[in-house]
Amino acid sequence: MRTLRTLLIGTVLRAKHLSRSPFEVAMALVIPLVQATLAVYLFRAGDEPHRLLEAAVGAGLMGVWASVLTGSGGAIQHQRFEGTLEIIMLTPRHPVLVILPLTAATAVTGCYALVATLLWGRLVYGIPIDLAHPLAFGAATLACIAGLGMFGLLLASTFVLLRNANALANPLDYPIWLLSGMLVPISVLPAWTAPIAAVLPTTWGARALREATVGGPVWPSIGICLALGTVCLVLGAVLLKSFERRARAAATLALA
Amino acid sequence: MRTLRLMGIGGALAYRALFNWTTPAMYTGTLLAGPTFQLLFFAYLGRQLQVADDRFFIVGNAVLAASTACVFGGTMAVANERRYGTLGHVLLSPRSRTVVFWGRVLPYAGNGLLIAAFTLLMGVLLLGLRIPASALPGLALALAAGSLACGFFGLTLGALGLRFRDVWVVSNVSAALLLLLTGVNVPRDGLPDWMITVGQLLPITHAAEAARLLAAGRGLDAAAPALGRELLVGAGYAVLAALLLKVFEAESRRRASLETL
Repeated sequence: MRTLRTLLIGTVLRAKHLSRSPFEVAMALVIPLVQATLAVYLFRAGDEPHRLLEAAVGAGLMGVWASVLTGSGGAIQHQRFEGTLEIIMLTPRHPVLVILPLTAATAVTGCYALVATLLWGRLVYGIPIDLAHPLAFGAATLACIAGLGMFGLLLASTFVLLRNANALANPLDYPIWLLSGMLVPISVLPAWTAPIAAVLPTTWGARALREATVGGPVWPSIGICLALGTVCLVLGAVLLKSFERRARAAATLALA
Repeated sequence: MRTLRLMGIGGALAYRALFNWTTPAMYTGTLLAGPTFQLLFFAYLGRQLQVADDRFFIVGNAVLAASTACVFGGTMAVANERRYGTLGHVLLSPRSRTVVFWGRVLPYAGNGLLIAAFTLLMGVLLLGLRIPASALPGLALALAAGSLACGFFGLTLGALGLRFRDVWVVSNVSAALLLLLTGVNVPRDGLPDWMITVGQLLPITHAAEAARLLAAGRGLDAAAPALGRELLVGAGYAVLAALLLKVFEAESRRRASLETL
């Protein structure tokens, strides 16, 4: 119960913290709408208007991932800039309980992107929100938040060691969008990318959302997304502890 | 000669001091890998939707690749002076600030050209694009024009940094809008009229059009009007940036808010 309370309060606190940043708020408000607009015009130009809802959902999920990625890279970097990383690492709880809320909060706030792109599509382009499995869509959204948050933790754990975490985070938007099939079906990618896509929680989260939108077996995809997310969580926890020890030993924890 | 020296040496020094992404990790990750992944994403999306052929996306995204370095570089050229507490010193300089800041665009434009050429090369190597050898000089010209126009566009956004505190919002949103409005990834005839009109006033739009004509083997004669329009857009932003810098500098002095963060 104490662990759940730590995670919940940490997530809410971080979400509140993000909501106080004009930069974070403006980016969260505008970028998903630009991406959704781009997706709508591309799918229209491709003469596939029947897939516009799928495109809006895909663009929304792209926004969630962008938020998690920026948040994961920024979580450690931001604590460094603020001089609070050492204090966080000194807490008596396991570091994962302190860092996971930082990445989970970005997934929660990133969900605005999903809601915003669907509403934008409905209000501006008249795309009917006609979901095949509305309940399963809600469950898939929650699974995406959990899965992406845990994946974010794995990324954040590696960022403890790196002074320029943004260098790794900045170019990772498009590869994950591409490999996870958020807008482009995985089947059109080269065959060697399939094993990489298969181990990403984002792939199964995107698949679950797509199946909930257009029809298909949603629950197995949700299960795999959560299972892979848990693997990321365990790996992230182990790496975080190990990298934290190395950073302490090398006295590089607070170096930006 | 003194003015050229001020632009050249001043620009190079400012680039070294103010551009955040000069470390090998940041440069490779943000400026080389990022645009390459963006190109692959849109090329595969285009293939799947059959919106246009690979050349459309590869050449368009190669021209757009310059925008990251130029838009954010231009912003850093002004905003980072304030962040590092040196803006006042620059504005106290007896030399023309217009020349000082215009000079800062040159390294960013050169950098943008390098990144655009690298991205185009990646398109050739990874996706098998074929470009006639005779088109290469013209393509270099188109990429250079796009980078220069984008550099002055970035400086215009940087000038807004003298008035607005959180200029990074402006540059991030502008970079995203370039993706949508310049017709780099969506054929412009599929966009609404107002988006096409706005796109005409943005950098990259005409450079991408010229580069596509050149890559298709149409020759410099066919691409010259679009190239001219791109240079005109760039010149427009150069004048606008100079005006905004002057107006906002005067206002910042009057309100004593020059170095307020």
